[in-house]
Amino acid sequence: MKQLSRYVSLVWLLVLLLLSVCAEILPLPYAPDTPDLDAIAAAPFSGAHWLGTDSAGRDVLAGLIFGARTALLISLPATIVSALLGTFLGSIAGYWGNQRLRLSAVVMVTLGLLGLAVAVLNASLGVYLSIGAVAFGGLVVVRRISGKLSTTHPVPLDAAVLLLIALLTAIPRLVLVLALAAVQPPSAPMLLITLALIYWPSTAQLARAEMQRIRQLPYMEAARALGLRDWQLILRHALPAVWKVVGAALPLSVATLIGLETTLSFLGVGLPPQTASWGRTLASARQEPTAWWLIVMPGTVLVCTMLALRQLALTSIKKEKRGE
Amino acid sequence: MKHLVLGILAVMSGAFCACSSRQEVNKSAIRIRWERDPENLDPLVLPNENALEAANLLYSSLLSVDPSKQQFTPCLAEALPTVEQTDSLTLLTYRIRPEAVWDNGQPVLAQDVAFTLKVMNCPGLPTESNQAQWGFIRDIRLDSTDSRRFTLVCSGRSPEYAWSSGDYIILPEYPLDPKGQLRPFSLTALRADTAADQHHAAIGAFVRRYKQAQLDHHPERLPGCGPYTLEAWETNRFISFKRKPKWWADQLRSELLPLQAHPAKLNYQIIPDAATAVLALRRGDLEVYPGMPAKEFQRLRQDKDNGATLQFYTADSYKMITACFNIRRPALQDKMTRQALSHLFNVPALIQATQQGLAFPSVGLIRPNSGPGYNDSLPLPTYDPNTALALLQKAGWQRQTDGGWLRRAATGAPERLRLTISYRTTDPAFETIALQLRSAAAQLGIPVQPQPLESSLFREKLRAGTVDMYLFTITGNPFVYNFAPILHTKSIGTGNHTGFGTAASDQLIEAIAAEKQEARQVQLLRRFQRLLHDEKPLTVLFFLRSRVAASAQLTNLQVTGLRPGYMATAIQAKPAAQ
Repeated sequence: MKQLSRYVSLVWLLVLLLLSVCAEILPLPYAPDTPDLDAIAAAPFSGAHWLGTDSAGRDVLAGLIFGARTALLISLPATIVSALLGTFLGSIAGYWGNQRLRLSAVVMVTLGLLGLAVAVLNASLGVYLSIGAVAFGGLVVVRRISGKLSTTHPVPLDAAVLLLIALLTAIPRLVLVLALAAVQPPSAPMLLITLALIYWPSTAQLARAEMQRIRQLPYMEAARALGLRDWQLILRHALPAVWKVVGAALPLSVATLIGLETTLSFLGVGLPPQTASWGRTLASARQEPTAWWLIVMPGTVLVCTMLALRQLALTSIKKEKRGE
Repeated sequence: MKHLVLGILAVMSGAFCACSSRQEVNKSAIRIRWERDPENLDPLVLPNENALEAANLLYSSLLSVDPSKQQFTPCLAEALPTVEQTDSLTLLTYRIRPEAVWDNGQPVLAQDVAFTLKVMNCPGLPTESNQAQWGFIRDIRLDSTDSRRFTLVCSGRSPEYAWSSGDYIILPEYPLDPKGQLRPFSLTALRADTAADQHHAAIGAFVRRYKQAQLDHHPERLPGCGPYTLEAWETNRFISFKRKPKWWADQLRSELLPLQAHPAKLNYQIIPDAATAVLALRRGDLEVYPGMPAKEFQRLRQDKDNGATLQFYTADSYKMITACFNIRRPALQDKMTRQALSHLFNVPALIQATQQGLAFPSVGLIRPNSGPGYNDSLPLPTYDPNTALALLQKAGWQRQTDGGWLRRAATGAPERLRLTISYRTTDPAFETIALQLRSAAAQLGIPVQPQPLESSLFREKLRAGTVDMYLFTITGNPFVYNFAPILHTKSIGTGNHTGFGTAASDQLIEAIAAEKQEARQVQLLRRFQRLLHDEKPLTVLFFLRSRVAASAQLTNLQVTGLRPGYMATAIQAKPAAQ
């Protein structure tokens, strides 16, 4: 039974992926963004529109297929970006903690000033590079002048990352996304960046915890005793193990981000009105309360996708536990 | 056990019946749906249509619109004003009805009108919108021999003055200025000295008293001579009004509708969501639903089950949906491009799709059934991509190999035809219109980007002139043809968001507003419609029909095209069938 549900999930996701990829070349009778003014809120299985139309006369079938593409085009890259960012920040926080990374005061001050300058100026890449070059030159000069300044201090990396996570998670995710989306006009790239920037703390917490565990393992102790550098230890010996855990949770991240994208489209923020999305189709049911198909069709697709991704995640986690 | 089951069944069926049965129309209260709260009932502010409707229940004006006659009729005034014109002034003389009294029994006098005008122009109070609307009233002259007679001195001339000079609510002097401290100050002096509240202690004290009264949520502190008093108000839930047991107009037994008030109670239910409001109407929790969405209106109307319980009314309104062009944008500066884009709106299909046929097209800003003023020699807007194509080429646009359009600007720089169409997110019809245009334009290779905007952001962008095309609702009226606020060059940056205006169009707008002879005005109106048809700063897509659904137990709703689309005070219960 478990095997069957796993296969059904995989088949569903593969079909969805295939439809999304081939959406442009599929022989769909209607485009997802063109209103059919003669068939406003047409019921399904009764006319030319197989799954009916929404309150603006847009074809529901085309909306679902192109909506799947939108969901994947936004949630997959957002998941990957947030996973990379979260893994990076979580790993360095878990590996170095608050005491183990030591930097000279000059480097810390320079980095701080650099960060401040970037934040204040919000300048282009050229300006960043110039600031970096000046900072580097200044650093060399200062180090030559005085050896005292080169005494090192611990960098509270773990505390800094935890603080950032606390700041982001203290505000409800939806409220934060709505606030960010309100600043910029709706567009797919903007939504992708927003989702990625919002979602990384979940991955970072996972990666941090895993890195803290791995760091204590005997093989890591042995590698350190052999004189391997930190970056070698992290990249070659710790990250592959961390990535297994993060990878197992990836389907759940995709599901969450699809849900978030759908919610935002439902609320009318995030994506422009001509971009097909499941949330947009669901939202049009508010204009047509009797059009059940506007809830049932996208709702079913959404629920099936969520369940399939969950099933996939569970299978991955079980595999991970078994150590396969 | 058997008894227990029967008992449960009895309770459940009782509960089911209680939930599903329609409630009898409450004899004492008419429940009306409002989409939003009136927010502020300060007579100087009145920020929305609902606040205006509420104020008209609490207060009376000199003149009021009788929807059955579609014209202004005397209310507090005994008759329409007598008009006398001098070189640069118009003098309008009114007399107040002797029957008109305040709630304390004191008569409504010319002194109260003078007080109202002074409050409307009192420095330190929110007078901006009143001054913009009634700024033409320069002074008031009281008749020393008749305390009810007075003359309004208005600057310039306009046929509109005859009714607009009496279209504001009259406030009582006795609750706010019992000692008559404002009396020594003339209206002219108050208008001239914008800091009078700081120089004169009496004015300063009055302003403080006015503000302390907190009339925004306590209109009962300034009792008007309207037929109702505020009974209860829970913000964003409901507001109810109670009929005065003895209203001064009752003794008149007039046939004029503004002088009648039938419902004992009016209860306005604030229900923002249309689907919830429809459900409430069907359940009998509402008696009147004005402005019902077209789709629901038609669906309920066609459902035979509703025939016995609901009635449906429509009337041609003066509200129109327009597609406007910001002619300050380089791509939209020439009229042929604007004409071409106007041919891409499929108006008949949009009327059917968005309004279920409850709308009608027009050649311009005049309603088609307005008589000879409507220029029926002009063609109605047509969906014609071929004509659009020809017009674009005539305008100098050249089709590129990538399918887009390009032309050289006056400076020689290449210019691409790429547009945005902005609209408020509040009306779903706008989205359908924008998508239809986008689809039609895409077939010609013109990229049009729909841009739904939140109301305040939309207003801000219009004022800043940072939109290309936009969808906009304009509401007219049958009393006056004043296009200056939306199309005069003086209004660019305030109400004229198209940026359109020429010396000829300005002159025509001013001539229409000032013309007294009907035949001559008709000629001017027809010329103006032709000018707009050629220049195309905007294209009128369609006029809406107002829609009201009401309980079948009610009658005399006086459904008209004038806002709010019905007359709450005229509603009566149908006599019970024998």
